[in-house]
Amino acid sequence: MGEIRAARVVPLLRRFGPLLVVVAMFLSSVLVAQYQKAPPDFGGSYSFPTPTHPEPRGTWVRALDVAMLAAGLGIGAWLVLKRRSRNGVLLLSVASVAYFGFYRKGCTCPIGAIQNVTATLVDPSYTISFGVIAFFFLPLAATLLFGRVFCGGVCPLGAVQDLVLVKPVKVPVGLDRVLQWLPYVYLGFAVLFAGWGLHVLVGGWPIDVGRRFIICEWDPFVALFRVSGAFHMLAIGGGFILAGMFVGRPYCRWLCPYGGILALLSRVAWKNVRITPDKEVDCGLCADACPFGAIKDLRADRGHCLACARCYDSCPYEIERRGGPSAEVQIARLVRP
Amino acid sequence: MIERSTRRQFIDRTCRLAGFVTLGGAAGLLARRASASAVYQVDPLKCTSCDLCRTSCVLSLSAVKAVNDFAKCGYCMLCPAYMDVTSMPDEKGVPAGRVCPQDALKRRVVGTVDPDDPNNNYYEYVIDEARCDGCGKCVKACLPPAGNGSLRLEIRYDRCVECNECAIQTACPDQAIVRVDVPGLSPKGHDVTHG
Amino acid sequence: MDPSPSDTPPLSLRERFFKSWFPPAAVVGGVATLVIAALRVRPEPRSPSPAPAGEPAPAITPPAPLERQYALVATIGGHALSAFRESLLDVGADHSGQVVALGDGHVRVFTAGGENLRQWRAFDGAECLAVGPDGRVYVGGAGRVDVFDGAGQRAGGFSFGDAGKPASVSAVAVHGADILVADASARLIRRFDASGRQLGLIGDRGKTKTFMLPNGKLDVDIDAAGVVRATDSGRHQVTAWALDGTPIGRFGKFGMRDPADFVGCCNPINVATTPDGKVVTSEKMVARVKVFEPDGRLLAVIGTEHFDPMCTQIPLAVDPTGRILAADPVRRLIRAFDLSAPGVTREEPR
Repeated sequence: MGEIRAARVVPLLRRFGPLLVVVAMFLSSVLVAQYQKAPPDFGGSYSFPTPTHPEPRGTWVRALDVAMLAAGLGIGAWLVLKRRSRNGVLLLSVASVAYFGFYRKGCTCPIGAIQNVTATLVDPSYTISFGVIAFFFLPLAATLLFGRVFCGGVCPLGAVQDLVLVKPVKVPVGLDRVLQWLPYVYLGFAVLFAGWGLHVLVGGWPIDVGRRFIICEWDPFVALFRVSGAFHMLAIGGGFILAGMFVGRPYCRWLCPYGGILALLSRVAWKNVRITPDKEVDCGLCADACPFGAIKDLRADRGHCLACARCYDSCPYEIERRGGPSAEVQIARLVRP
Repeated sequence: MIERSTRRQFIDRTCRLAGFVTLGGAAGLLARRASASAVYQVDPLKCTSCDLCRTSCVLSLSAVKAVNDFAKCGYCMLCPAYMDVTSMPDEKGVPAGRVCPQDALKRRVVGTVDPDDPNNNYYEYVIDEARCDGCGKCVKACLPPAGNGSLRLEIRYDRCVECNECAIQTACPDQAIVRVDVPGLSPKGHDVTHG
Repeated sequence: MDPSPSDTPPLSLRERFFKSWFPPAAVVGGVATLVIAALRVRPEPRSPSPAPAGEPAPAITPPAPLERQYALVATIGGHALSAFRESLLDVGADHSGQVVALGDGHVRVFTAGGENLRQWRAFDGAECLAVGPDGRVYVGGAGRVDVFDGAGQRAGGFSFGDAGKPASVSAVAVHGADILVADASARLIRRFDASGRQLGLIGDRGKTKTFMLPNGKLDVDIDAAGVVRATDSGRHQVTAWALDGTPIGRFGKFGMRDPADFVGCCNPINVATTPDGKVVTSEKMVARVKVFEPDGRLLAVIGTEHFDPMCTQIPLAVDPTGRILAADPVRRLIRAFDLSAPGVTREEPR
C-alpha cells in the first residue's frame, strides 16, 4: 500500500523537486522574518509580477544524454569493428565534440563520474543520480564488449585531441611505458580526494582539504567547451591542444584515470581491434599509421588501442577490401627498390 | 596459427564475466538509492552575501543572481538596496549614490502617482539578470533593520551549467550552497530541502 | 629506380581530403575558441548609469543644543525574575506608573522599578497592547482586541473583519470610550466602541489616502486632548488627526544628516504622546528615540547607545509622570528615560 502511494508521490517529487527547494527556502525565510503581511495598495492597475524560477534540466534531458551515449557507443563499435572506417570515426568524433562537448559543456562525463561513484560508496548520504551511474557504467560495459570504442569516437576530450592531431611524433617506447603508469596515480588521487579528502601533516604543515573533485577541477578542455573560465584553465586547455598537435592524445594515454580503467578492461574485451595473423604479412604500415603506439610487435596492444581506426586506412588488405588494387600488388610496389 | 592459446582465452573469458558481474552488481547497488537528479541552490538563511558567488562560479558571469521577493518587498522610494542612503542627496533630496556596481537593479513607478507628493511613490524593483553578477551588495543592504529582506541570492538554472562539483560550494565559507537531490527509485528517498 | 609517388598505394580522394586540412582547421578552431574564452574572462564592472557612485554625505552635524535631555533611569527585563525569554512585543504604562508589557505570550505588569507584579496569558497572535485610563489593558492582534482588567481578568473584547483572513493589528490606543485599532492590512486606523461596533476610520481622508507602510507596521497613539498621532513610515512623517478622521497636520521628512529628520527607507516606526502633548518617535536602522513639539520641532534625542542596532521596532509608551518607556525587542529589555539635567546619567546603559 505504501509502495503505491510512493509510486504516485515520487514522480511528482522528481518533477518539482528543485522548485520545491526554492519554495521551501523562501517559506522558511518568511517564517523567520514576519514582514509585510499585506501588499501595499498601489492604486491604479498593478499586478504582482510572477517570480520566475527557471527549472533545471528536466529528467528527460538527462535520459536523452544517456541515450546519446549509448547510441554513440553502439555506432562507434559498428564503425570501428564492422565498417572499419576512419572517416566514420572522424565524423562521430566531430558529433561528440559538438554534443557532449560544446552543447552539454562537457558535463556530465564518465571521467568525472569516477568521483561520484567513489563519493557515494564511501559516504552513502551523498546521492548519485541515475544519469551519472549510466555514464559511469555504460562505457565500461561497452569496453568489455568491444574495446575502447568510447575513447575512439565518443569521449569529447579524446575527440578534441584526435581532431587536432596534425603531425604525430613517435614517443620513445621506454618513455611511453613509464608514462603509462600516470593514469593510475591520478586515479588514486582522484579516488582519495573524492572519497575522503586529504588531512595530513607534511613536515609539520597541516594539509586539510575536504572532499574535492580534482578531475573536474583540472579537466583540460572544460574551459574550451564552456568558452569561459579562469586563466589557468584556459592555459592548460591551450597547452593540451598544442601538445596534441604533435603528440597523439597525451591526456588519453598518460593522464586519463578512466582510460586507465578502460585499458585494463579492454585487454579482456570480447571483440577488439585485432591484427589477424592468418593474413598478416607484417608490412608494418599499420604500426607506422598508429599515432598512439598501440601496435607493438605488429600486434595490436589491446589495452592501449584507442579505436581510432587509422590503422585500417593503411592496411593493404583493407584497401583491397574497399576496392583498391590487390594487396599483393600494393606490397610489391612497396618493396620494389 | 591461432593468435591466442585456449588457456589465454579462458582467462580472458573469466575476467570478462567477472567484469560484467561486478559492473552489474555495482550498478544495481547504486541504482537502488540513486536520485533522479542533483542540483545546487543557495540557502538564503545561511548566505552572508560575501561576494564569493561572483568570483567562484566557473562561468565568467556567475550563474548566481539576486532575486526580489515581491511579496516581501516594501516598494519603497528610498530603497536601501537601490540607493546608498548615506550618499549626497540630489536636488530632489533623493540620495544620488547607487549600491549596485553593475547597475543591475532597475525600478519603475507603479500605482497612481500622488500629485501632491510626486517624489514619494511605490517602485517596483527588478534585477536585470544580464548585468547582475551575484555580488550580493543589494542583498546585504536590504537585510533588516534597513530593509525587509526581500532580496536574496539564487542560482538560476537557465545559466547554471550544473557542474558535477559546484565551485561556489567549494568556496563558500558559510556552507550556504546545498546540493538538492530529487528522489529516485527509493520512496524513502531524501528530504528535498536538505541536500 | 626510386618508387614514384604514383606507385605507393593510392589514397582515395576522401582520405586525402580529411588528412590534409581538417586537423589544422580543428586546431585553429580550438585555439580561436580559447581566445574567445579568454576575452570573456571576468567582465570589468561597468560604471553605473546615469548616477555617479555618489560622494558620501558629510558627517551628521552636531545638533544645536537641544532643549531637553533624557537619562536612563531603569531597565526592566534584564534580571532573572523579570526576564523575557522569547519575545518582547509591546509596552504600556498605567495611571499609577506601573509598566505593562506584552512578551512571551503573556501580559506582565511590573512596578516602575522593575519588580514583577503579576502576569496572565494573552491570546495567540497578540501583538500590541494599550492601557486605558481606567487601568484596563487592551491587547490587540490578528483581527481582534481583548480587554482585561488590572488584575488580569478578561473584561470584554471583540473581533472584526474576515475571520479567515484576520487583519494585522499592529497597535491599539484608548481615549475615553473609543478604542483605536491600527489595521496595518488596510493601512488605516479603525475607531471602535467597547462592544466592537466600528464608529469610523482615520487616515482615509486627506490628500494622501491611507498610510504607506513598507515594513507592514502602523503605530498609533492619542493624547489627552484627543489628537490622534500615527506613523506614516513610507512618507517619513508623523501624522495628526482628529478622532473623527479630520486630518490636522503632519510633520517630518527623510534625511540622513539633520537629527530631526527620519533616516532610511521607512521611519518613524513607533509613536507615543506625552501628557504635556509632546510627540515621541522611535526609528530603526539608526535606533533612537526622539521627542518633538506637536508642530515638529525637535526637542530631544535619546541615542543609539541604549538600543540594539538590529531593532526593527521600538515600541513606546509614556507614563503619567512623563517617563518614556522604550522596548528593545532584540535584547528584550524595557528602557525607562526621565527628563534630567544635561549630562547626568543615573544608570549605566547595558
